[in-house]
Amino acid sequence: MGSISFQRVSKYYPGKSIVRALENVDLKIDEGEFVALLGPSGCGKSTLLNLLAGFENTSGGDIAFEGFPVSKPGPDRGVVFQEAGLLPWLTVWNNVVFGPKVQKKPREDYEARAREILTLVGLDGFHDALPAQLSGGMRQRVGIARVLVMQPRALLMDEPFGALDAQTRLNMQQLLLDVWQRLRTTVLFVTHDIDEAILLADRVCVMSARPGRIVENIPITLRRPRSIDDLTSPEFIQFKARIMKELRSHLAEH
Amino acid sequence: MQQGASVPADIVEALASAERRARSARRRRLLLGIVLPLLLLAVWQLSGRNGTLFGGALPTPERAFHAWWAWAFANPSPGLNPYLGTWFDTVIFSTIRVAKGFGLAILVGVPLGILVGWSRVAAASVDPTIQLLRPIPITAWLPITLAIFGIRDFGAVFLIMLGAFYPIVINTTQGARDVEKTWIRAAQMMGASRLDVLLRVVLPAALPSIFTGLRLGLGIAWTAVIVSEMVAVKSGLGYVMWDAYYVGRMDIVIADMVSIGLLGYLSDRLIVLLETWALRWRRIQSFNG
Ligand SMILES: Nc1ncnc2c1ncn2[C@@H]1O[C@H](COP(=O)(O)OP(=O)(O)O)[C@@H](O)[C@H]1O
Ligand SMILES: [Mg+2]
Repeated sequence: MGSISFQRVSKYYPGKSIVRALENVDLKIDEGEFVALLGPSGCGKSTLLNLLAGFENTSGGDIAFEGFPVSKPGPDRGVVFQEAGLLPWLTVWNNVVFGPKVQKKPREDYEARAREILTLVGLDGFHDALPAQLSGGMRQRVGIARVLVMQPRALLMDEPFGALDAQTRLNMQQLLLDVWQRLRTTVLFVTHDIDEAILLADRVCVMSARPGRIVENIPITLRRPRSIDDLTSPEFIQFKARIMKELRSHLAEH
Repeated sequence: MQQGASVPADIVEALASAERRARSARRRRLLLGIVLPLLLLAVWQLSGRNGTLFGGALPTPERAFHAWWAWAFANPSPGLNPYLGTWFDTVIFSTIRVAKGFGLAILVGVPLGILVGWSRVAAASVDPTIQLLRPIPITAWLPITLAIFGIRDFGAVFLIMLGAFYPIVINTTQGARDVEKTWIRAAQMMGASRLDVLLRVVLPAALPSIFTGLRLGLGIAWTAVIVSEMVAVKSGLGYVMWDAYYVGRMDIVIADMVSIGLLGYLSDRLIVLLETWALRWRRIQSFNG
């Protein structure tokens, strides 16, 4: 459940000069693995995630989710967007139960779980608030809750904490660590923040741009459960030094 | 939270007096807005007293008001004077026509606009036709409408519908086109069908533009009802206006004009009220930064 495979996947965008957003990308993610996709902006991270989500079609190659080719978006792959992407006219509660509702699930199947998840992400007492009344961090908690309520078999997160201030980002990283420790779903987490990638992931895939491809796979063997205190541990620093060296060497190639 | 109690009294007082000043400034601006119309009325009334304004063609506001009073409240006199006690019926005739035409325009314009804004196929097949027909003013549709429907109610309703349709469909299309891609993707990711996306995402997201279209459309609907009643039917404010003009009752013409203005204003307020209610989620301000 939740396994992901990219085989020689390419994505080109038309234009005056064709944009080679991705070229011959190979990537395998095991069930229950937390993979961080790390790279400078514009290297094709979102493109890769959008292809897996089914928002866009590949120009070549095969993407499989749980062994089946990806053709369209679906609740088995829950996506968390950078700016949360909540529906602003719906309350927190209605945003969170939107998925089960449109899937015509019976209420008793999801209402208790929705309440539980809102508690888990710290949004008790905010069920009737509108997105505009929430801070960026709280909005992103709703973005995570509405995905978790669907019990997806993979989480695709595109720089979900990129727009948050440093303190809030730390809180959200801790929250995600705790949630993942319980659920252990497959996660593909896009970020350009080295610390974030190391802290969260079992494996960091380093990407480079033009053409977008994965240039390095670095397993992160830090003990779990992890917490944001690990950010300053000696092992953490060693991983960071190594990844920075890789990034520098790939920058030097250009 | 305990900060509230410890705000110094002079600051509380300063804030309160700033608010008082803002409120009285608002009242002054409101009063200022009434001055100009009152002044115009007074000049009109004074210069028309001897009954020679534009060679006697223009009655004073006072006479127009008296004419309206009789038109609205006097006992109807069968056959003799159509301008006694018939105002309410006349207003209702026109209002019902506007309601019918405007309602049809919404029924056709909003779904079509959503579809055209959302689907490239629908846009390609319908948009050019709309853009080609739109420059034809509704007044130019009068003869053919009369030829097809004759002197009957549906002709008038059709013209009103046509006039209100364009701004509604065009603004709805715009609103549906500008929906944030992330909202649509989020809904699809959560398992929404195409119909769900249309009804639960595109429609609410387009609502602000739809209301813009409704307000513009309603304005045109009132124009259209007057024009079409002047030619296509034998009742309503438009018919009475033309009729009164022919028999030289300029006081009724003026009273009729004011009635139309008032109805247009009131129905616009109604839409605004509806809009404020339907879009209340947009006005809620962040209290959390
Ligand atoms: N719809 C598009 N049309 C044209 N070019 C695009 C489109 N989407 C992305 N690109 C280009 O593809 C490259 C990769 O983009 P993206 O995947 O968004 O990068 P990242 O998420 O790593 O910042 C960039 O050069 C970007 O300009
Ligand atoms: Mg991106």
